[in-house]
Amino acid sequence: MAGDGDRGRPSKKLKTFGKGLPSSHGGDDDDLAFAEEFDEDSRGGERETKKRDFTKLELKPDHVNRPLWACADGRIFLETFSPLYKQAYDFLIAIAEPVCRPESMHEYNLTPHSLYAAVSVGLETETIVSVLNKLSKTKLPQEMIDFIYASTANYGKVKLVLKKNRYFIESPFPEVLRTLLRDDVISRARISQYEDSHGDAFTISKTPGEIQASHGELLNGAELAAAEEKETHSFEIDPAQVENVKQRCLPNALNFPMLEEYDFRNDTVNPDLNMELKPHAQPRPYQEKSLSKMFGNGRARSGIIVLPCGAGKSLVGVSAACRIKKSCLCLATNAVSVDQWAFQFKLWSTIREEQISRFTSDSKERFRGNAGVVVTTYNMVAFGGKRSEDSEKIIEEIRNREWGLLLMDEVHVVPAHMFRKVISITKSHCKLGLTATLVREDERITDLNFLIGPKLYEANWLDLVKGGFIANVQCAEVWCPMTKEFFAEYLKKENSKKKQALYVMNPNKFRACEFLIRFHEQQRGDKIIVFADNLFALTAYAMKLRKPMIYGATSHPERTKILEAFKHSPDVNTIFLSKVGDNSIDIPEANVIIQISSHAGSRRQEAQRLGRILRAKGRHQDRMAGGKEEYNAFFYSLVSTDTQEMYYSTKRQQFLIDQGYSFKVITSLPPPDSGPDLSYHSLDEQLDLLNKLLNAGDDAVGLEQLEEDADDIALQKARRTSGSMSAFSGAGGHIYMEYNTGKGKQGALKSKPKDPSKRHALFKRRFN
Amino acid sequence: MVNAIKGLYISCDVPMAQFIVSLNASMPASQKFILHMLDSTHMFVQPHVAEMIRSKISEFRDQNSYEKPA
Repeated sequence: MAGDGDRGRPSKKLKTFGKGLPSSHGGDDDDLAFAEEFDEDSRGGERETKKRDFTKLELKPDHVNRPLWACADGRIFLETFSPLYKQAYDFLIAIAEPVCRPESMHEYNLTPHSLYAAVSVGLETETIVSVLNKLSKTKLPQEMIDFIYASTANYGKVKLVLKKNRYFIESPFPEVLRTLLRDDVISRARISQYEDSHGDAFTISKTPGEIQASHGELLNGAELAAAEEKETHSFEIDPAQVENVKQRCLPNALNFPMLEEYDFRNDTVNPDLNMELKPHAQPRPYQEKSLSKMFGNGRARSGIIVLPCGAGKSLVGVSAACRIKKSCLCLATNAVSVDQWAFQFKLWSTIREEQISRFTSDSKERFRGNAGVVVTTYNMVAFGGKRSEDSEKIIEEIRNREWGLLLMDEVHVVPAHMFRKVISITKSHCKLGLTATLVREDERITDLNFLIGPKLYEANWLDLVKGGFIANVQCAEVWCPMTKEFFAEYLKKENSKKKQALYVMNPNKFRACEFLIRFHEQQRGDKIIVFADNLFALTAYAMKLRKPMIYGATSHPERTKILEAFKHSPDVNTIFLSKVGDNSIDIPEANVIIQISSHAGSRRQEAQRLGRILRAKGRHQDRMAGGKEEYNAFFYSLVSTDTQEMYYSTKRQQFLIDQGYSFKVITSLPPPDSGPDLSYHSLDEQLDLLNKLLNAGDDAVGLEQLEEDADDIALQKARRTSGSMSAFSGAGGHIYMEYNTGKGKQGALKSKPKDPSKRHALFKRRFN
Repeated sequence: MVNAIKGLYISCDVPMAQFIVSLNASMPASQKFILHMLDSTHMFVQPHVAEMIRSKISEFRDQNSYEKPA
């Protein structure tokens, strides 16, 4: 009877999963792999029915020397072994979305968004077509040419300008503005100065001469002629509606994508901030390249730069701030990374101590003078509740100021609604988003196109590995068979809520983990991070192995203490992290990751975790291709075979596989001869563990709930693995480290926070 | 007197054996098919269930493997 339900249940679950995420499981074929433009599904649908027969394409006689295959459906394949690879890559990354980039052959996809990004970095339609034609082995299909023309025709006709804290839409063509105003959303967003103005009364202003001079580089002939009229028509829009207006103007709606540029050199209204890069800060070639995309025509463009973790995103951010030399608001995901950003600013630039301030729940600093850098978290800015008097004042200041640069770290988390609020609250001339993983399990990634701007640059991970800029990681998936008793429980219907805990606590997995920790600590002297999403497992592993751990409820001072010990003490070589460690905790010393449990099939989490060890170690020449050490970092993902974990694990790896990584499967860990040195050798011990696990409440074995999870909501809904009932009812008690000042800190100093699983049920809610 | 039963001898790994055991347990009493559990990886079952077990196992495995939509 129990087993019957068993078989019924998983199948139902998977069906729900499929339904919940139609975009990733449904029709579109190759493109789920990367941050894909889901709203182009119509194109994807056509593609499916179309037969992929490209025999009609005409090969050019000298095709051997050309690196590209361009297909009529918008897909482009690049041979990386071609001598022209480097040039072709730089060009393609500007005009198309990378879909999959293994070692020898890359796949790209032309989309309206990617072409919009291309034009916004200064490429003209003619150039795109002619270069593409030059590089292609075949004659460029007419469909593709038409598509490029259609997607880029309207670009650059409309500008969004921030003047004295008010937003204006400008265009040299009044008829274009009229077209825009015919749209409901935009006309509602308009703020009219005169009651009688109807659509055609625009504010007409003369644009200063020198701006037009630089126009010439960017815009094509037609617009240049128009600019010579020296007249711009504009109307003001409601700041709260800016996001909607931008969205309406995107290629899939009205198709007048707005240009957002900041002419910071000629901005005399906002005070300058005196900061320069220090001479020892030498941007690497790819960092230079990404900056040149941003400042291509002497102005600052809004957009997103995608660099792998550990490749030096902070230096890119600091350099951008140093070029603009205006007040800068820097947003990070948590208090630890706020400290790190403040440190990076001081490290790379000549900014003075009093010009930089941190604004978190613990430190409410203010900068002196009329310009400066503020580093804070998304939460602090978006927080809607009542604030203390101090922070209210600072927030007021942030709101009223006109920021030269809004620097957003880990921008893939921004689409969650509270983060969007941040963008509407803060007024900035230029936004720069930084991320390593432009991928989400929900469809919100395309929102970034109008929230921030197009993707300006994306680095190829394997090229950076070859150049020795990031660590060369050996990825491995360790298969741990379930033990008899654990698997029997796993199959029982009544344990469906504990499934995750059961496969995570699988004794064979524990032994494999212990073996790996010992091997890397003792034989190689490595520093190891162990990741576990499941709190029960995290505490059980950490207690048994006597290693320090950090999770959501760990206070900020204690985190800092543990991380310091991990960095400097030779005795602390392993730490256990829950998913609070996924993003932006900078632990450059670590070079081994062991992942024992994870957030279902989240590709982003996998990539972010890998990112913790990507910072290059050792001497540069050893790391280059053919150097001494082939691999200098290791990423192990422990998976219990025959369980759902296998499904999730494969899905999670897709992003990294698309970046060209390959996963090695290891099946015999720990080695069969490792007997009782490792824990849980005897059956009694295993049964004891099983008992403990089964007796723990459903709450205790569930997933850790963090405020920061908000961005993967879709995923949470779609899956049905073990989760706490209270969380579903809304009483999950979000642990929110930014605001539990005072109480949490004192507790942490006196004693370690008590293990929540051991707390009496009556007190659980109070403490969470 | 010797009693001969015709049946099927299954040899598999530990988790799969557990899967078959739980499958057996889920059946109503009249349809229980395991005749003898020999050890944790071997068992003796009624001869007609081979196809059923195969299909259940492959169903179970399909649920646990991810295929990149192509």
